Amino acid sequence: MTSRASDLANSAEAAWSRRRVLACLGAWPLAAGAFGAVPAIAETGPLRFTHTFGETVLPGPARRVVSLGYTTHDALLALGVPPVAVRYWFGDFSYGVWPWAQPYLGDARPFVLTGEVAMERVAALKPDLIVGIGSGISRAEYQVLSHIAPVLMHEDADTSYGMPWDVMTRTLGRALGKSAQAEILVSGVREKFSAARARHPDWAGKTAVPAYHWGGETGAFVGADSRARFFIELGFQPTPAVANLSGPSGFYAPLSPEDLSPLDADILVWISSYGAVPDLVALPMRRTLRAHIEGGRSWQARLSPVRCRSAACCRFPSFSKSWKPI
Amino acid sequence: MTRWGLLIGVLAAVVLLSLTVGVRPVSLAEAWRALTAPDLTNPDHIVVLSIRLPRIVAGLICGAALGTAGMAMQVLTRNPLADPGVLGVNAGAAFAVTLGSLLLQRADAGFLAYLAFPGAAAATVAVFSLGGGFRGDASPVRLTLAGAALNALLVSLVSAVVLMRGDTLEVVRFWVVGSLADAGARPIAAMAMAAGGGLALLFALAPRIESLALGAALSRGLGTHPGRVQAGVLVSVTLLTGAAVALAGPIAFLGLMAPPIARKIVGAALRPGLVASALLGAVVLLFADTLGRLVFAPAEIRAGVMTALVGGPAFVLIARRLSPGGTS
Repeated sequence: MTSRASDLANSAEAAWSRRRVLACLGAWPLAAGAFGAVPAIAETGPLRFTHTFGETVLPGPARRVVSLGYTTHDALLALGVPPVAVRYWFGDFSYGVWPWAQPYLGDARPFVLTGEVAMERVAALKPDLIVGIGSGISRAEYQVLSHIAPVLMHEDADTSYGMPWDVMTRTLGRALGKSAQAEILVSGVREKFSAARARHPDWAGKTAVPAYHWGGETGAFVGADSRARFFIELGFQPTPAVANLSGPSGFYAPLSPEDLSPLDADILVWISSYGAVPDLVALPMRRTLRAHIEGGRSWQARLSPVRCRSAACCRFPSFSKSWKPI
Repeated sequence: MTRWGLLIGVLAAVVLLSLTVGVRPVSLAEAWRALTAPDLTNPDHIVVLSIRLPRIVAGLICGAALGTAGMAMQVLTRNPLADPGVLGVNAGAAFAVTLGSLLLQRADAGFLAYLAFPGAAAATVAVFSLGGGFRGDASPVRLTLAGAALNALLVSLVSAVVLMRGDTLEVVRFWVVGSLADAGARPIAAMAMAAGGGLALLFALAPRIESLALGAALSRGLGTHPGRVQAGVLVSVTLLTGAAVALAGPIAFLGLMAPPIARKIVGAALRPGLVASALLGAVVLLFADTLGRLVFAPAEIRAGVMTALVGGPAFVLIARRLSPGGTS
């Protein structure tokens, strides 16, 4: 499939948000798997973190962690510190934890936070660390939360939902006194990526674009977004037009329905909900894309958790057999 | 009749503008070729036929429907601030779309449009009933109050659903603004018929609506049944705004803005007023839609937002020049 243009519509059953695949990609640290044999090299003294809202100081490694980011609990679980509270994103899974991470829960029964962050609820959990990375909380919320426990945020250079997975994993590892373990997790995922690149040298130099269509708007995931980076780590490049896009949020950029040519890549992956598929298929300018014209190899698949994890493990083309044409 | 010439001329100009201007500029000659000898491999032709033409048609229907429905509401309730939203149409449609999308797990434009129409109709019937319409004692004040109450209730319910189920947020967020962007996916022909029926009914009722506007007692003396006229107007306004809301979502402000300007141009008589209001509604909506796809290109500003942005200042200017309490 690699040499052909493909037009894939990835769709999750109960999934709606644009950020959904972040959840899958958040599983990377878990996919790295093996850890535990290496002793943690603990930093001594207070741990200092500089971030977009200033500086946070932890007196020592955290153990009771409230995870407010929509995917940060995956990294915490991989690091062996199940959070005391998890932010609900989507999917009907107990404790808001998707199947790939369920085994890492152990005996933990995290509280599931839904909707807006309820400060009183967070305070009642008596955390010693609040993870605000990838949570979208405001500076005002950060300040209130800081009275409860030290709060970690994304770095100034990143957007709210745009902290790269590796930086996020390392930051959390340091906060938990498990930097060495975080390094192992990150390098494990990196190895899987480089193995995938080695297996598919023909991917290098090909273009790939993760696109969305939702609520009457079409666009591409750009910049440091996990979906955009996923393809880059596999060896693909964004199309030059997409590379030049930067949306107001920094992680996705809307396009005009009259000109979808930036999406004209060797591989086009639609990441959208099932509900939006009829609109997506009906997009008039989709007919002008190579993926459609040369296509014939277009699929859609429900992004079930298992496949999702497969995707995270870079076996993504191999499971496309179960996809049906659109 | 230069006033009519001007109105029609402006509408024609806006239609041509909408056909040729956009992220992908298409010359008038190319647009003509697209219409007469379409080549479906030519991106310009696809844009004209599959994107701009549906938007124009939907904009014409929706603008005209809201303009005329607003005029009918303002005359019937003797309230220059009445617009179709007063009857709870928009809130009813929004509620039906939100709930339907949640329960049926659908989010595609064509399907949601079919939910909007019955939602709008149900809300109108509820307002008419709460306002005492079926007992025959619906006064303009009662109807307005019932509409305001139902609006508040439905808007709260929509918010409650959205707060409880985040997955409906994106549907609502897109839907409540109003847009012509996916007009091609919506049931244009069916809604054109609904709006046409509503308009025809309104035209037939026009003399009786005018007599009702003199007050219930006087109109009875003139041989008009206020209840029947009110019910007739209700049916036509429901058809008109239901069609508009199904095609474009709730476009705010248009039904409020077009009628007074129309009266300013063609005078107080209802039938010419309806026609002028229809033309004006279409002009403003199409212009707003065209502007909305240019201002922050390639991203689009939705027609619902642009209508208020473009129409608001114009409306204030004109309203300031109207004599208070005057009919023209």
